[in-house]
Amino acid sequence: MSETPAIATRALSKTYKDVKALDNVGLSLAPNRIYGLLGRNGAGKTTLMSILTGQNFADHGTAEIFGHAPFEHDPTLARLCFIRESQKYPDDFKVFQAFHAAALFFGNWEEELAQDLIRAFNLPVKRRIKKLSRGQLSAVGVIIGMASRADITFFDEPYLGLDAVARQIFYDRLVEDFAQHPRTIVLSSHLIDEVANLLEHVIVIDQGRIIIDAEAEELQGAAVTVTGGAQKVEEFIAGYPVIHRDALGSLSSISIRARLSEEQRDRARAQGLELTPVSLQQLVVRSTLNSQKNQEQTTERQAIK
Amino acid sequence: MSRIIKVARMQLINKWTFIGIPLVILASAFLFTLAIWYLVRRGGGEGILYGGGAQAPMWYFLALGIQALTLTFPFAMAMSVSRRSFYLGTLALFSACALILAVFYYLMGLVEIATGGWGVDGRFFALQWIAENNWLTQILFYFVLMILLFMLGFFAATLYMRWRTTGVLVFTIGLGLALLGAVALITLTETWPQVGRWLAAWTAAGVTAAGAGLAVVLAGSSYLTLRKAIV
Repeated sequence: MSETPAIATRALSKTYKDVKALDNVGLSLAPNRIYGLLGRNGAGKTTLMSILTGQNFADHGTAEIFGHAPFEHDPTLARLCFIRESQKYPDDFKVFQAFHAAALFFGNWEEELAQDLIRAFNLPVKRRIKKLSRGQLSAVGVIIGMASRADITFFDEPYLGLDAVARQIFYDRLVEDFAQHPRTIVLSSHLIDEVANLLEHVIVIDQGRIIIDAEAEELQGAAVTVTGGAQKVEEFIAGYPVIHRDALGSLSSISIRARLSEEQRDRARAQGLELTPVSLQQLVVRSTLNSQKNQEQTTERQAIK
Repeated sequence: MSRIIKVARMQLINKWTFIGIPLVILASAFLFTLAIWYLVRRGGGEGILYGGGAQAPMWYFLALGIQALTLTFPFAMAMSVSRRSFYLGTLALFSACALILAVFYYLMGLVEIATGGWGVDGRFFALQWIAENNWLTQILFYFVLMILLFMLGFFAATLYMRWRTTGVLVFTIGLGLALLGAVALITLTETWPQVGRWLAAWTAAGVTAAGAGLAVVLAGSSYLTLRKAIV
């Protein structure tokens, strides 16, 4: 592909005292797609986004935005929008003043969209930002992120404190606006099932390492849970990588990484086995837990040596 | 429009903070001083009356220097502004404010002299040590003093931004040690009389030049510190 990636990192590493926030992260994100950056709290999501927006520094490796290092490079920075989950605003700012500032800096600012979202979120624009509730604060960040229409927009856990209705409004509006104005969107989240349908590509980060970097379509149906009599299940799954096991008496429920053919499905049905797709959330949770187990084992082995 | 100018405009979004409050501080300090002077005259006080209230808004600049950084810098980062643009825009705005206020002080000094010290022989703006200089020195003196105070606050805040409490502690303890060392040196060499004469010999122009030098050093250090600061 000759197209310059929107985001490209190579061997990106960052250590805080004794914690590895990022460990040899190599990514390439194509423009005009919606990416999910998934992972547990403290997995390194915010650190990664901070480095990508030139707000933080890597110890090793490089990060490039449309082929440029973002640090102190105004023309590149101007194409980015990153509102932190714990974003600070000037103490004396009222809500509308924050939008006023955003309209100054983001060249593609869409005031109509901002006004529309303000109404949808019931945001009191004349209130001081200091006095807002957690949900209203998140709404301010969401509105800046959406209305900025920046070439690359990062949403850092944008739903904190938002109720289910407000979250749905956010997801709906994001998809709607993205369809009309395609741009690169990186959505960091740990509410995986809620955002699963939005994502085109999924990146899972754990303890600073990328453990999944795959198309959402590929992941959907990439794993399946086989439930039934323990003996029959074991026979059926033989040879496939197991990601999780559950057992209840003689019943067994085992998730495997496999894309089953129609013929295999028929065979399972004939044997009285039940097949259920593993949701993205389940897949991420299991992958993360497995990755942590492997990590611990490696550490133990190293300790024994 | 340049992003540097946009930073200045962002800092000005809340005009009350930058323009309103300093004016309120100055006006109230001045009116309080006037009221006291009239009472002193009514009470039969003699001679020239001096008031130090003109420095009140300058101290607010120290606080503004801190505030401009701790509160606005993290927001400016979210607005995808480079540290350099933030720094230049903020400094440009403060310089403009300081210049306007310095000219205002000078003009009020002229009014003060023309009205015979507001009718009560008071000295608020035209303190003799400054007012006896030419207009440029007077304006520069006020300007540099305000910039210096602002830079002090700004520099302390960059230290905090970059190294948090540790940075500010190390700096203030270091500064304390340096001052203590200087006092010890003067005391041990028994040179206090010379130092006293040296201090008394400073002219307004000399203070302005030295203050400008110090402000430039602080400005440079602030920039280098801010370049690697993390919000």
